[in-house]
Amino acid sequence: MLDVAGLSVAYGGLRALTEVSISVAEGQFVTVVGPNGAGKSTLFKTICGVVPAQAGSIDFDGASLLKRPAAMRAHLGIAHVPEGRQVFKTMTVHENLELGAYPAAGRRQWKHTLERIHTLFPILHERAQQLAGTLSGGEQQMLAIGRGLASAPRLLLLDEPSMGLAPAVADTIFERISQIHREDGLTILLVEQRVAEALELADRGYVLETGRVAMEGSYQTLMADDRVRRAYLGMGEA
Amino acid sequence: MEDALTLILAGISVGSVYALIAIGLNLTYWTTRTMNFGQGSVMMLGAMMTAVLVAGGVIDALAALASLVVIAAIMVFTEVFTVRPALKIGGSMGWAVSTLGVGIILQGVAAKYFGSQAVAFPDMVFSAQDYVEVFGVRFALQYLAILVLSVALVALLELLLRRTVWGRAMRAVSMDADLAAVAGIPVRPIVLGSYIASGLLAGIAGMLIAQTGGTVDPAFGFDLMIFGFVAAVLGGIGSSSGALLGGLVLGVIEKLVGGYVSTAAAHGIAFALLVVVLVARPQGLFGQREVVKV
Repeated sequence: MLDVAGLSVAYGGLRALTEVSISVAEGQFVTVVGPNGAGKSTLFKTICGVVPAQAGSIDFDGASLLKRPAAMRAHLGIAHVPEGRQVFKTMTVHENLELGAYPAAGRRQWKHTLERIHTLFPILHERAQQLAGTLSGGEQQMLAIGRGLASAPRLLLLDEPSMGLAPAVADTIFERISQIHREDGLTILLVEQRVAEALELADRGYVLETGRVAMEGSYQTLMADDRVRRAYLGMGEA
Repeated sequence: MEDALTLILAGISVGSVYALIAIGLNLTYWTTRTMNFGQGSVMMLGAMMTAVLVAGGVIDALAALASLVVIAAIMVFTEVFTVRPALKIGGSMGWAVSTLGVGIILQGVAAKYFGSQAVAFPDMVFSAQDYVEVFGVRFALQYLAILVLSVALVALLELLLRRTVWGRAMRAVSMDADLAAVAGIPVRPIVLGSYIASGLLAGIAGMLIAQTGGTVDPAFGFDLMIFGFVAAVLGGIGSSSGALLGGLVLGVIEKLVGGYVSTAAAHGIAFALLVVVLVARPQGLFGQREVVKV
């Protein structure tokens, strides 16, 4: 469904990604892990069109995305939930969700998806008329995910949904993400620093280091690898 | 007392037009953090073209409409060729110079083709002599009509922004353009739309002011733009209710000073007021401090 091949990106002269190749098949849950500054967010921003690519290709359903502006990519069915629980703070929770449903698919299925979002995150239903800026961090993250879902996407990009959240709240968020994948069959690409949890959920994982894919494979392969265990999970002999 | 009431009503009426100008400036500030400093020439062209067309025998409404169409085209040109390229350079204030440049060129073009003399602006709905008497005080109908029209336009704009998909999309762009784009909102057309709407408000404001003054000349818009800008800053840049209040306060002060002191003092006092407000409350009466993401 999504094929990133040989992707290189530079920010103001600095290389952020070097020949990164990643693929996500329909219905899969794929995770990208790696330390801070490895280029994970850059990868997502390039996929959704906020940052231009320098070289390489990004194909969605076999057609190149690179020539398409960011807004168009949302209409093709790619929903991006950026890091840092970004919501439109001076709009209500409900207005945020409505804006998420801006793409045609989202508008068509609005009633159904809104119900689903409210089932997943009942707090968003309770706080529907509240300004998004007044929500707690965890609630804002739920709203950001809800806004992504409101577009009735075919591919959901989640950028560090657990960032800055209390562990218990992060657990709830992971649970919901897993539920969205299992019950709705939504294809998900997740970037995370909480490596163990993230890899556990995923069908496949990629390890990104200093802008390159250092390793890839299934959960079992990655978890069995000494380097991954040492560097990210604090396990194995030093 | 009677004089004061008459002056205050005239002030409120003119002030509502300043509010219109201020809100026009706000519109583009929301979407791009820029303002068209050539807005004065847009106002002048709105009034000037309408006056010239009507003098040439075109029906009032048609003349006004034709002027607004030309203004929309000018705003598209301004956004595409002077604002967008300037914004590509991060942190550049080039747009302030380039939009002012377009304004000066337009003023020059108007002076060349319409002459630099004042042109009579036609009475559109009421003549300057029509009035109503309320409690023995005479209120000019022109001023009332202008007040009603400006307030209706401000209300309509608020309604559009709050209630329609496009309005919501525009608010989203003003809060976070990248996030809006990722949500599938077409940012470019919305920015262009904000420029067109801003110009249309300015054009209408120009016609309304020309109506009260009776004439329009190529230099007509510059003062108006300054007043609109002062109204916007007074109320707090980006705030619609602030722009409305700022405009009204400014209009009333202008007319009272003009009536009791001298019309020549009105400008000085308007700016003194601006300085005082900015010292006491840098974000304006209704403005919120801009939080800049680092």
